[in-house]
Amino acid sequence: MAIPIPGGVCWPRPSCRLGADDATARRHGLDPDLLDPRKEKVLGFLYTFLPAPPVSAAATLSCAAAPESEDGEGGADRISALPDDLLRHVLARLPAKDGARTAVLSTRWRGLWHTAPLVLVDAHFLPLGAARPPRPGAALAAHPGPIPFVSLTCGFYDDADADRAALERLFTLLATKGVDELVFVNRPWPLPGLRLPAALFGCASLRRLHLGAWVLPDWAKLPRGPSFPNLQELVLGAVVMDNLDLLFVALCLPRARCCSQSLRSVQFCLSMVEEVAAVNAPCLERLFIWRCWSHHGRRIKIGLGHAPRLDMLGYLEPGVHELEIGNTIIKSGTKPSPRTTVPAVRTLALSLNFAVYSEVKMLPSFLKCFPNVETLCVESEVTHEDEPIGTLDLKFWQESGPIECVQWHLKTLVLREFHGEQNEFDFLMYVAENARVLENMVLVLKIGRYSAPEEVACKFMALDSARWASGGSKLKSLLSRLRDGGSLWSLKAGCDLSFGDPFFCL
Amino acid sequence: MASAGSGDEKAAAAAMITLISSDNEKFEVTEATATLSQTIRHMIEDGCTDGGVPLPNVTSKILARVIEYCKKHATAAAGEEGSSSSFSDAAFLEVDRAFLEELEEFDDAFLEVDRATLFDLILAANYLDIKGLLNLTCQKVADSVKGKTPEQIREMYNIVNDLTPEEEAEIRRETQWAFE
Repeated sequence: MAIPIPGGVCWPRPSCRLGADDATARRHGLDPDLLDPRKEKVLGFLYTFLPAPPVSAAATLSCAAAPESEDGEGGADRISALPDDLLRHVLARLPAKDGARTAVLSTRWRGLWHTAPLVLVDAHFLPLGAARPPRPGAALAAHPGPIPFVSLTCGFYDDADADRAALERLFTLLATKGVDELVFVNRPWPLPGLRLPAALFGCASLRRLHLGAWVLPDWAKLPRGPSFPNLQELVLGAVVMDNLDLLFVALCLPRARCCSQSLRSVQFCLSMVEEVAAVNAPCLERLFIWRCWSHHGRRIKIGLGHAPRLDMLGYLEPGVHELEIGNTIIKSGTKPSPRTTVPAVRTLALSLNFAVYSEVKMLPSFLKCFPNVETLCVESEVTHEDEPIGTLDLKFWQESGPIECVQWHLKTLVLREFHGEQNEFDFLMYVAENARVLENMVLVLKIGRYSAPEEVACKFMALDSARWASGGSKLKSLLSRLRDGGSLWSLKAGCDLSFGDPFFCL
Repeated sequence: MASAGSGDEKAAAAAMITLISSDNEKFEVTEATATLSQTIRHMIEDGCTDGGVPLPNVTSKILARVIEYCKKHATAAAGEEGSSSSFSDAAFLEVDRAFLEELEEFDDAFLEVDRATLFDLILAANYLDIKGLLNLTCQKVADSVKGKTPEQIREMYNIVNDLTPEEEAEIRRETQWAFE
């Protein structure tokens, strides 16, 4: 079973540093010619944004060896004279093999490597020219920890008993070493019989976890009790989650611990999910779902429960995602109430096809759920001819009733990319006439010719000269950077809690 | 976007600090430059920088290099703050990249020193608690060791092997995986 990549997935362009080049791919042990183009695209996307290991096998600075000194100190062993702490600082920057080899330098060096933090990267174990995949188990066994960073991205794990057992052993060992950050991407691709090793869930010290191209394990076989009590950041990319419970576990398990949950940022991208639910996530600040899909085209359910700090949310897809707040499923006529709103969200991103009636119809209801949104990013999808197209009633927006965030809080609206649809104009006109504190309305224009350019220009001018509730036109336009359309989404920007504009709106 | 000069103007308006090397040479630097050193930052916070900050562990030769590093990185930090909120699609990444590239070039050139200076810089960075400089200099040493055999490393750094042949053989056995 391979992950079915949905058709029509638009890829961010190289302007956003996407598309792994050969060098990036090789860093993860990937032969660029090995995969079919679609899988290559997905893995390329993941690889581009995977956190780079803090240690590389190659020298990162251009001139590797400093020359001998000229002042007569040439014969002194300055390096061994450094205090232990500083030598550990040097050792922590070495790949495991290089570090371990320093033990034979002299008695001064014996035992030092064991006391320095270890960065474990399986790509550093790639044998030169050999077809054998790297197995970093011996290094892991030899080092007592702590291990600030582990990257396993070129394991070539197979659906064989031996590999399954090796993975379980690896993570059982890892769980005892105090791992801080783990990047674990299966290579080449999820295999039906090879699920994420359950022992991974025993790595309680993890703070950041990036998983890619895995089928998640059977929940029934997981150890009971809390997993990842310290996890702050979770990224799941190209992951198959056929088990609804597990999602619940990933986001909500610490609820069972009765103490505060640690997760601050969660991203799901290019994954197969049924439900994403932040049922009880008191620390969660960011929740991102990007280009996910579910079995048999079922709707993905997005559940928001207790998430008092949830500041950024995206990309919700009105009419495609089923939004459940508390115990209420949001429908087109749902009246906003404290039980159906998430007041903490200030930045919201939506993705919808303005030509599809069922999607636009849900737009007001979705907006009403987030009364305090100040920054709204709307990704306008490309119309596909086979989808049902409907024109909205002229009075649709008038009859949709007041939308609190638009009326009182919305400062910035970015529509990306603008296709010139009547439904897009209607929405923009509604915002223009109702948003009192609006400061910017930015239309990112698609590259290429509009089918009726004069008509678009007329509407544009009509919008510009409308009766703006904010006092005057705030309309601006930019030309898209994406030749074939698509999304600017960047896993890296999303993960960086210090970067306040992951949807690139400001 | 802030103008390119704003960083300098801000720095000019800031207070100046005098640093005194072990051989009694005085260096005037801005507070922004000096506070890249956590050690000096704490002294400033405690109000004990009047009459200059004596740094008995750092020679004037090394202190001049350290200040060169701090000046560059303090300016870069100020410039980055000023330009962070431009209206951008992917501009954020490009601004970021330009800064990083310029800094990387500087760092590379900065490290073209002889070995004694490199170790002096490590010790000074450690004493002054300048994280970026410590990382940079230690990285340089780490890079020089990567991919080398123990014999090559000993030769490069004049390390005398005082292990008995039996001890060395034992360690090699224990870490056989690292020699494959």
